[in-house]
Amino acid sequence: MSMKTAFSSPRVRLIAVVSTALLAVASLSIPTVAQGAGVFKVATSAAVTTWDPVQSFSTEAFYMTNIYEPLLWKNPDGITPEYSPALATSWTSSKDGKTWTFKLRAGATFHDGSPVNSAAVKASFDSSKKIGGAGFIWDPLKSVETPSDDTVVLTLSYAAPMDLIASSTYGAYIVNPKALAAVAADSKYYESGKDGGSGPYTISSYKAGSSVVLSAYGKHWATDKPDYSTIDISIVPDGITAQQMMTSGQVDWSTNIPLTSMATLKKNKKYSVITYKSPFNYVGYFNTLRAPLNNPVVRQALSMALNYRDITAIGGQGYGTQARGVVPAGIYPYDPAIPQYSMARAKAKTMLDRAGVKDLKIKITYASENSAEARFVPLIKDAFAAIGVTAEVQGILFNQQWAAAKKDPANAQDLFIVKYWPTYSDAGVDNLWSLFHSSTKPFFNLSYWKNAAYDKLVDDAIELSGSDKAAAQKLYSQAMMMLYTEAPGLYLYDEAQVSVVPKKFSIPKYNINYPFSAFFAGVKLS
Amino acid sequence: MRILWNRLSSALLVLCAASFITFTLARVIPSDPALAYIGPKATAADSAKLRITLGLDQPIPVQYFKYVWQTLHGNWGYSLSTKQPVLQEIINRLPATLELIFFAMSFAVIFGVAMGVYAAKYRGRLQDSVIRIVAIAGVSMPAFWLGLLLQMLFAGRLTWFPATGQFDIDLKYDNPISKVTGFPIFDSIITGNFAATVNGLHHMVLPALTLSAYSFGLLSRMARANLLEVMSQDYIKVARAYGLSERLVFFKLALRNALPPIITVTGLSTAYLITGTFFVEQVYNWPGIGSFAVNSLLSIDYPAIMGITLLAAVGYLVINFIVDLIHAKLDPRVWMR
Repeated sequence: MSMKTAFSSPRVRLIAVVSTALLAVASLSIPTVAQGAGVFKVATSAAVTTWDPVQSFSTEAFYMTNIYEPLLWKNPDGITPEYSPALATSWTSSKDGKTWTFKLRAGATFHDGSPVNSAAVKASFDSSKKIGGAGFIWDPLKSVETPSDDTVVLTLSYAAPMDLIASSTYGAYIVNPKALAAVAADSKYYESGKDGGSGPYTISSYKAGSSVVLSAYGKHWATDKPDYSTIDISIVPDGITAQQMMTSGQVDWSTNIPLTSMATLKKNKKYSVITYKSPFNYVGYFNTLRAPLNNPVVRQALSMALNYRDITAIGGQGYGTQARGVVPAGIYPYDPAIPQYSMARAKAKTMLDRAGVKDLKIKITYASENSAEARFVPLIKDAFAAIGVTAEVQGILFNQQWAAAKKDPANAQDLFIVKYWPTYSDAGVDNLWSLFHSSTKPFFNLSYWKNAAYDKLVDDAIELSGSDKAAAQKLYSQAMMMLYTEAPGLYLYDEAQVSVVPKKFSIPKYNINYPFSAFFAGVKLS
Repeated sequence: MRILWNRLSSALLVLCAASFITFTLARVIPSDPALAYIGPKATAADSAKLRITLGLDQPIPVQYFKYVWQTLHGNWGYSLSTKQPVLQEIINRLPATLELIFFAMSFAVIFGVAMGVYAAKYRGRLQDSVIRIVAIAGVSMPAFWLGLLLQMLFAGRLTWFPATGQFDIDLKYDNPISKVTGFPIFDSIITGNFAATVNGLHHMVLPALTLSAYSFGLLSRMARANLLEVMSQDYIKVARAYGLSERLVFFKLALRNALPPIITVTGLSTAYLITGTFFVEQVYNWPGIGSFAVNSLLSIDYPAIMGITLLAAVGYLVINFIVDLIHAKLDPRVWMR
C-alpha cells in the first residue's frame, strides 16, 4: 500500500474539510452588521493623559473641547470678530486692562443639569490657578468676584489680555463645582471617564488607550443641535493604520494620516486635502554653554549652512514654510518683517574660519517618535558636513531627549531639535518666554541661553500686552530680532496642518487656536 | 516530586531575575516618568511634585522591594499613560490577545504540520520545494512587514477583510456582545450572537495569519525533517516488511515518534507568539496586550512595562512547564533525565 492511501483517509479528509470551511467562513466579506445610525466614527492618535479638565495639558484637548467650554472661543486668525461667545455672552475691560467683567449665558447647564453660574467660574479659575497643568496662564489674576449669578469680575495684578487667556485650550474650562469637589476628595475621580462639563457632548464610555464614545448632551444651550448623537472615537497611534481604517470604510474620518500619504489621497476623489496654518514650529537649540557654540558667529554660520527649502520639503513633505524665528505665522506676536537665514555655505565656512573653528564635532538629538524630525535631521547633518562640521545624530524618545538635556547642560547635546507650540494663542508669553528667557534651572530653554536685554524686552512686552497690544508687539519684534542676530537656535519651519476630509461629510475648519481639537457638534453630512 | 520542585524553584528565580533587570533598566535610562504622567508641557514644579507622589525620589533598591511587595499583593501600580491599574489593564486586554494566539497557533499547527507531512511524502518534488519556500518565507519575514503587506493587499486593494480592529465599530451598537467569559468570540458563540461571531472571525483572519507565519514555517520544516528521519529508521522498515498497512505505519508508528520535538517547538512557538503580538497588534490596531506593550514602551510607561514583562515571563514558564508535562507523558524517559 502506498502512502497516498494514508492521505486519502477519511480522518485526513475531515481535517482538510473542516479547516477549509473555517477559512471560508472567516473570509466571508458579506456585511454582517448594519450601520450604526447617528454614529460618526473617528480614528485619532490623540491619547488621554488625564480626564481632569483642570490638569489637562496634552492631546486629550481633542476630546475636551467637545465636553467642556471656556468663557470664549477664539476664532482663527483673520476672522472677525476675534472671539465667539461660549459660556460668556458679553465682556468688557477697564481702560487700564486690569479689570475684566464677563456676563454669563442664561440657561447654560452642566451635564448633571446644574446651572453654569459665576460661582462655578470662580471655582474653576481658582482651581486652575492653584493646581492646574496650565495654571500659569492665570498668573495676572489677582481675584475673582461674583456680584451676581451671571456676572464675573476678574481683577488682575497687571494688565493682561483676559479675553485671550479665558479662551485658552488648556486651563480655562468652566467645570462643575461638584466635580471639582469630587476630584479634591479622590484624585482618580475622572480617570474612568467621568466629566463635569457643559459642552455639546458628554463621555459615554472610555476604554483606556483604546476608544472614547461621546454622546450628545440634549440640554446644551446651542440652538443648532449636533447631527450626530454619538461620536465613536478609536485611539489609533499609527498613522498608516488610521489611514487604512478610513479608506476601507471602518471609520468615517481619520485625523492622523501621515504626510507621506497626502499625495496619494489627493488623487482620491472621495477626499479633500485641506491645508491650514498651525501653531507647530520646529526649532533647534544650540548649546550656548559650550565652546565654540557660545560664539554667536559660529551659531550664525551653522544657521547659514542649512538648505531650508529642502528641510521643509522633506520634513514637512512640502506642507510647511520656513520659520521666522520661534513664533509661528498666524499666532500673536508673529512679525513678517523678521528676517530669515538662507543657505550661504561659502560665507558660513569663511565665518567659521574667522572664528578659528576647525574640525568641529557636534551631537544632535531629536525625538525618534517624530517622523518629520527623522526625515529632516539627516539633512542638517549633511548641511553641516558641507561646511566641515561633523555631526553625530541621535534619535531617542522625546521624554529621554528632554530628561538628558535638563540633567547636565554642560555635557548635554550640542543641538536639540524640538517641535514646539504655544499653550494658548500667545507665543509671546509662551514661545518667546519659555524657549529663550533665562532660567536658573533649564526647563524649556534648552539652549541655556541667558541674555538680560532679551529677558527685559519679553517681560515688558508681556506686561504691556493687556493694555497696549501695539506697544507690546514692538517690544516682541525687537526680542525676535535679537533671536535672529544672536542665533541661540536654528529656526527651521512652521508646520502646516493638513486635514483629509471625506467629501461625504462637512467637518468644521481647523482652528489654529485649538490645535489638537476637533469640534464634532459641527459635523454634518455634505 | 523533587524534579517538580526544581522546576518551580528555577521558575521563581527566572521571574525574580526578569523583574529585577527590567525594573533596573526602566530606572537607569535617562527619562522622566513623571512627564509621561502629566504630559510634555507640565511645569518643573508639577513634575517634581509628582516624582515624590510616585515614589520616584527614593533609592532604586527601595523602589524595587516596594514594587515586589505590592505586586505580590495584587497592586501592579498605575499605568503612567492610561492612569488605570496595570493589572486591570492586563486583565481587560488579555482575552483579545489569547484569542488571537489561539487562532494563530491553531492555524500554524494544523496547516504547518499538515504541510510538513505532505512535503515529507513528496520529498524532493515540486510540492516539497513550494512548501519549503513558503515555510522559509514564513520564518524569515518580519511580522510587521508581512502584516502591512497582507493589510494592503487583502484589506486595501481587494477589500476581502477588514484592515484593523477586533470587530466592526457598528457591531457594538447593532449586535453588542454580552460579556460572559471576557473572550469576545467565544462569548458571541455561547450567547448565540452569530453576527458577532462571523464578524469577529472575519476580523481575525489577517492578524492570525500574520502572527502564525513564523510558527507555521517552523512547524512545517520540523514536521518534514522529523518524519523523514523517523521513516528511515529500521523499525519502520521492519513494520513494512511485516506487511503492516501504510496508514498504520505512518500514523501509529512514524508520526507518534516524530511528535515529541514537534510538541516542544509548538510550545516554544506559542511562547514566542506572546511577544510576536507586539508587532501584529500594533499593525492591526488589536486591543490586546501587544499594542498596550508597544505604547507603554514608546511612552516609557515603566509600571506597564514591568507588568507586561512579568506576564510574558510567567507565560513562557507556564507554557514550558506544560510542554515538559506533555513531553513526559509521550516519553516517560524525560523525568529520568
